[in-house]
Amino acid sequence: MLELRSVGYRYPGYRRRAIDGISLTIGDGEIVGIVGPNEAGKSTTCLVAAGLAPGSIGGELTGEVLLDGVAIGAAHPHDLAGRVGIVFANPASQLSGITGTVFEEVALGAVNLGLPIETTLARTRAALRTAGIEDLAWRAPQRLSGGQTQLVAIASMLAMQPRHLVLDEPAAELDGHGRDLVGAALRSLAARGTALLIAEHDLDLLQAIGAHIVAIEGGRLVAGAVA
Amino acid sequence: MLPGAIAGQVARLVVRRAALVTLPLAIAVGLVSVFTRHGTTALFSLGPFEATLEGADFAARIALRLFVMAAALTLFGATTAPRAFIADLERRGVSPRLAFAIGAVLDTVPALVERGRQVVDAQRARGLDTEGRGLQRLTAIVPLAGPVVIGALHQVEARSLALEARAFGRPGARHLLWAPADTATERAIRWLLMVAVVALIGAAATGNLPHVP
Amino acid sequence: MIRCEDLAFTYPDGTRALDGLDLSIDAGERVAIVGRNGSGKSTLVRTWNGLLRPASGRVLIDGAAIDGQRVAALARIVGMTFQDPDRQLFSSTCRREVAFGARNVGLRGRELEAAVEAALAAVGLEDRVDANPYDLGGSRRRLLAVACVLAMGTPVVVLDEPTMGLDKAEMERVTGIVSRLAAEGRTVVAISHDLQFVAASFARVVRLDAGRVVGDGPVAIEVD
Repeated sequence: MLELRSVGYRYPGYRRRAIDGISLTIGDGEIVGIVGPNEAGKSTTCLVAAGLAPGSIGGELTGEVLLDGVAIGAAHPHDLAGRVGIVFANPASQLSGITGTVFEEVALGAVNLGLPIETTLARTRAALRTAGIEDLAWRAPQRLSGGQTQLVAIASMLAMQPRHLVLDEPAAELDGHGRDLVGAALRSLAARGTALLIAEHDLDLLQAIGAHIVAIEGGRLVAGAVA
Repeated sequence: MLPGAIAGQVARLVVRRAALVTLPLAIAVGLVSVFTRHGTTALFSLGPFEATLEGADFAARIALRLFVMAAALTLFGATTAPRAFIADLERRGVSPRLAFAIGAVLDTVPALVERGRQVVDAQRARGLDTEGRGLQRLTAIVPLAGPVVIGALHQVEARSLALEARAFGRPGARHLLWAPADTATERAIRWLLMVAVVALIGAAATGNLPHVP
Repeated sequence: MIRCEDLAFTYPDGTRALDGLDLSIDAGERVAIVGRNGSGKSTLVRTWNGLLRPASGRVLIDGAAIDGQRVAALARIVGMTFQDPDRQLFSSTCRREVAFGARNVGLRGRELEAAVEAALAAVGLEDRVDANPYDLGGSRRRLLAVACVLAMGTPVVVLDEPTMGLDKAEMERVTGIVSRLAAEGRTVVAISHDLQFVAASFARVVRLDAGRVVGDGPVAIEVD
């Protein structure tokens, strides 16, 4: 379960908070979609929910973010990697650039967690299966389409087996086919009990995967918020 | 180094790139030393400046050394896949962050070249004339260099966040899936090369190096 | 206005991006180009301003083959935005950024100022004229790129994924811009995955697949 309790966040160097009073609960296997105009706070909410703000980028957080009842607090992002993952809009910028095959790319996070080789291999295979890209395992990551790359990004998060996944406009840069691929993978994830928080413009995609939709504007949730 | 380059089938690439890098430096050094180095054998005069054989010799030797250095680095870059390099470093105990930083440098150049191409296209489409006369091409530098640098920096930020989320910064041991094979032959060649380098340094220090007349 | 005859183009790595493509677009038309990634959309439009020269076949603009013409000259006829707006931003203010293209096509003085202001107002950035482009969010930078091409006043305007990442209000702004351009008699071509945008703004949809035109007709039929 991913919970935001009255969360506010101010970026470093800025005077005003980008988001304020955000309260959201996403249970296991549930999908919550956040919609709203650009610069309303969707991306900020994602960064906060994944622990990257303030964990990686500094700034000031008010309120609490809880993963399975435990507050993130001052935990460093690499400690959170196995509990919550994040996927961004631009597929290419999520590739490490240092792997030669999709398999290695997906395994990277698990390796970073210091897992024994057998465990890493098993998790990587499972992640490829869930994301539906087993047939891409031996391809070069740089040579995939946008949709395929996005699935690799999702799979690389899955290899760390987080129970919560945050996605910031995952389909924004994809064509119709890519959107379908991502939608299918997300449905599969939720069916396995992962809590999903998705920021998106594409209402059709959110509805197609059965998301509970909340709206954000000017940094605050609009008209009813809790999942 | 030459056998290595030929063995790796990258000889032409290495020579061409190393030459490209060395050329501007060599020209600069050449111009200065040919005319200003103390020497007794005059070659020709250009106004108040006198070109000497000793100057030319010095310039040639500097150029050759620069070329060799550039070629060595280029050979390394051309024959080492970043992932193999990083994996090997990590296996030998280098911190993953440092290993990645080093590997990323190797990877940066092709990415920047590609980005540079995209930027040139975009600016040309906005009327920037890259097919015109010399001076025009000089003034075209800012609209070309600017987006490449800024864009690259911008992408670094996005990429870093994605990497953090994959526990890149986690301290502690990792069980790598794969590292490049280190055969006995490779180990032997490495030791031989190191011995040769030590011997060369020793010889140079004690003045025993053969001179090229 | 634009005619493509049997265009063929292969990238250095061997990808056959255009494979015998024929297309004709009249002045004042509004055309959307759709198709999967890799179908040749971006390659096609780049043959119109000379960024790419076809291996065979020819491109005629306003009846004349564009063979020997420089990109800088063709840019006065065919204005273009790219999928990644960040690849062109280099100025310290939005105003200067928009003025760059306009100045390149010959606008000066009062005329230049007026064009820049009008373009920024059209995309809703009139209150951020002196802001640094990178202080704007990603979607506003995409709108800024549209302003850049508007200020150039070209008879043909090509937009590559103009609504990617835009919210509803921003998308409607772009739709409005397309209408206004068409009303001024300009030819507008857009590459887009955004079905809503395509349906709202374009009467004609050309579908590409493997470097050829496989569909060309009214929007109701061509859109998925």
